[in-house]
Amino acid sequence: MLNAKDAIRSLGLDKRLSRNRGENTISLLLLLCASLSILTTLGVILALSSETWSFFRDPAVTLKEFFTGREWTPLFSGTQQHFGILPLLTGTFLVTLIALIVGIPLGLGSAIFLSEFASDRLRRSIVPVLEMLAGIPTVVLGYFALLTLTPFLQSFIPNLNIFNPLSAGLVMGFMILPTISSISIDSMQAVPRRLREAAYGLGATKHEVILKVVVPAALSGIMAAIILAMSRAIGETMIVALAAGQKPTFTFNPTETIATMTSFIVQAATGDQPAGSLPHVRSMRWGRCSL
Amino acid sequence: MRQVSSENLSLGLLNPEEKAQLKRRQRGGKLLYSLSLIPVILAVGLIGILLTTVFLDSFSWQVIELNNSGKAFKSSEANTWSAVIKADLAAQGQSQSEIEALFADKVELDKFAARNRVERVWLPKSIYGDEGGWRFILRNSRDKQVENLGLFEGRAELPRLASSLKDGQLLILHPWLNISFLNRNNSGKAWLAGLLTALVGSLWVIGLVIVISLPIGVGTAIYLEEYAAKNWFSQFIEVNLRNLAGVPSIVYGILGLYAFVRFLSFGPSILSAALTLSLLILPVIVIASREAIRSVPDSLRQASYGLGATKWQTVASVVLPNAVTGIVTGVILAVARALGETAPLLLVGGAGFVSQMPKNPLSSYSVLPTQIYSWIGAPDPSFDHVAAAGILVMMMLLIALYVVAFLSADALKNGNSLNDDF
Repeated sequence: MLNAKDAIRSLGLDKRLSRNRGENTISLLLLLCASLSILTTLGVILALSSETWSFFRDPAVTLKEFFTGREWTPLFSGTQQHFGILPLLTGTFLVTLIALIVGIPLGLGSAIFLSEFASDRLRRSIVPVLEMLAGIPTVVLGYFALLTLTPFLQSFIPNLNIFNPLSAGLVMGFMILPTISSISIDSMQAVPRRLREAAYGLGATKHEVILKVVVPAALSGIMAAIILAMSRAIGETMIVALAAGQKPTFTFNPTETIATMTSFIVQAATGDQPAGSLPHVRSMRWGRCSL
Repeated sequence: MRQVSSENLSLGLLNPEEKAQLKRRQRGGKLLYSLSLIPVILAVGLIGILLTTVFLDSFSWQVIELNNSGKAFKSSEANTWSAVIKADLAAQGQSQSEIEALFADKVELDKFAARNRVERVWLPKSIYGDEGGWRFILRNSRDKQVENLGLFEGRAELPRLASSLKDGQLLILHPWLNISFLNRNNSGKAWLAGLLTALVGSLWVIGLVIVISLPIGVGTAIYLEEYAAKNWFSQFIEVNLRNLAGVPSIVYGILGLYAFVRFLSFGPSILSAALTLSLLILPVIVIASREAIRSVPDSLRQASYGLGATKWQTVASVVLPNAVTGIVTGVILAVARALGETAPLLLVGGAGFVSQMPKNPLSSYSVLPTQIYSWIGAPDPSFDHVAAAGILVMMMLLIALYVVAFLSADALKNGNSLNDDF
């Protein structure tokens, strides 16, 4: 009589079983790789929330002051220390706003040109160049804003500070341009051909088709592009740290030195301050913003 | 019947009012065309302007007082590193035997090399006449820098600089990006500062990043594309990856600071930097690899299964080889991003002044972007030129990476069209 083991061996199934065991190990390994991303997210949440927790446990910090105070000077000591988040918020808001004012029209304009007017060949050669603009390290863009653009702007605006959100925002607008344009191009190309042809059939000219049919039909994609670009602008660090300054000021004046949430983190990290819990609170907020 | 051509339609059959309206509409089209062309020109122009200004910034006019012999050597007199040093020491009055002794002692020579820099500079012919042209000089840490002016500014003020030139001073055009910039360590003096420590640091970090993130990233992509059942878990991982791709890079810096620098106590080391950057670029690699894997035609997989291959055999010998160009393109682009990433590294220790060569993954380090950042922030404005030279090197590396990625993407396209032919 054959027992089960012999039967398995005689059919060559044992090899197949060991093959299966190997297969299982591999799929387990791959699962582990995939789970790492969850671990990363947990790590981010943990690092941010534990810091936020210890920040607010400090008796010097009150929630009321944090949300309404207009001074942010945690690196000072004693009674000069203030924890009002507003200056950092307005700084971030100001730079992001300027970036969007520059980036949205430029991004949309170039998307319209590349998607609707340019030939396939031209598009294929220009899109990588635009992508390069997004690939330029931001420390280089910061250098350009600080040492080239600001002196240039100062010849028009005499009371412009050396560190100012204006030139930082302008350069950042160019940084987010490719984000806006490439996603907008994709969604404009995805507009069904029959919609365009129906419009042409009704006697519409090319620009009427673009502005009244293609862009409205692609609007959801364009909005997604703008939101993504905005989150990039809010989270951008090096351009503002270099060109907009590191002095938290409650202001909406684009010629004054400011600080943003991100640039303050850099300031706190590169300074000689004892490892404080201070900078990390704000990251919570745009952590939420980008998620 | 009358033939209706488009000409008739637009001019013949319409009344004047309609004609004017049609003209207006056509003008609108031209307007939109030029309005949408402007941003493209601006964007492409900005890249050009940026690279040009950085290149121009990497030159400056200087009036210097050399602490060494103060001589500028023609290339006929001395044209190698050791020849310039020997010639300069001889001009300072050292005897031949003293010079020989210096070159025989390796340790002393290294110390000497750290304090002195051999450089090729331009002496303007309008001032020096026949003595002008490219010359070698030996600079050291005790040199004085009297003036330092930008390329155009200095050019305009050349007569003033020349007339105020004192004995023992040299007026030079200094190209900050040269061979000696690439093979020197960082220094507190702008004219001695070099890029080598940062370059080696960057290579270390990038090498480790590839080793860490490539298997994990491709593994995740394989899992999601080939193995995962369509359930809540794989959906969750997908959504999670997309979110991680949108997290600002500085948040990864905070994560790295807590997880690697403090919790795992790797300290501000190359390893911490590499792990942080690996997490940062992982979503990029996963997304690119998934796309590449998805583009492999299903018929190939079915053929492999039909031959009796197991899942992993199919993945390893059919799917991956066909997806490799796409994966490589994605990895190169991700590495390019890691190479230029500054903010997270400032948090995990890339900010310090490092003049020592990194020796192992736990050494302290400096990488190109953080080195450039600290040069821009240095109080001495002549470091701006050093930063410009550093940026040029980094941009050249990046452009090389982009070209490689672009070419391999092209190869991918050709490969796909082959597959379609089957």
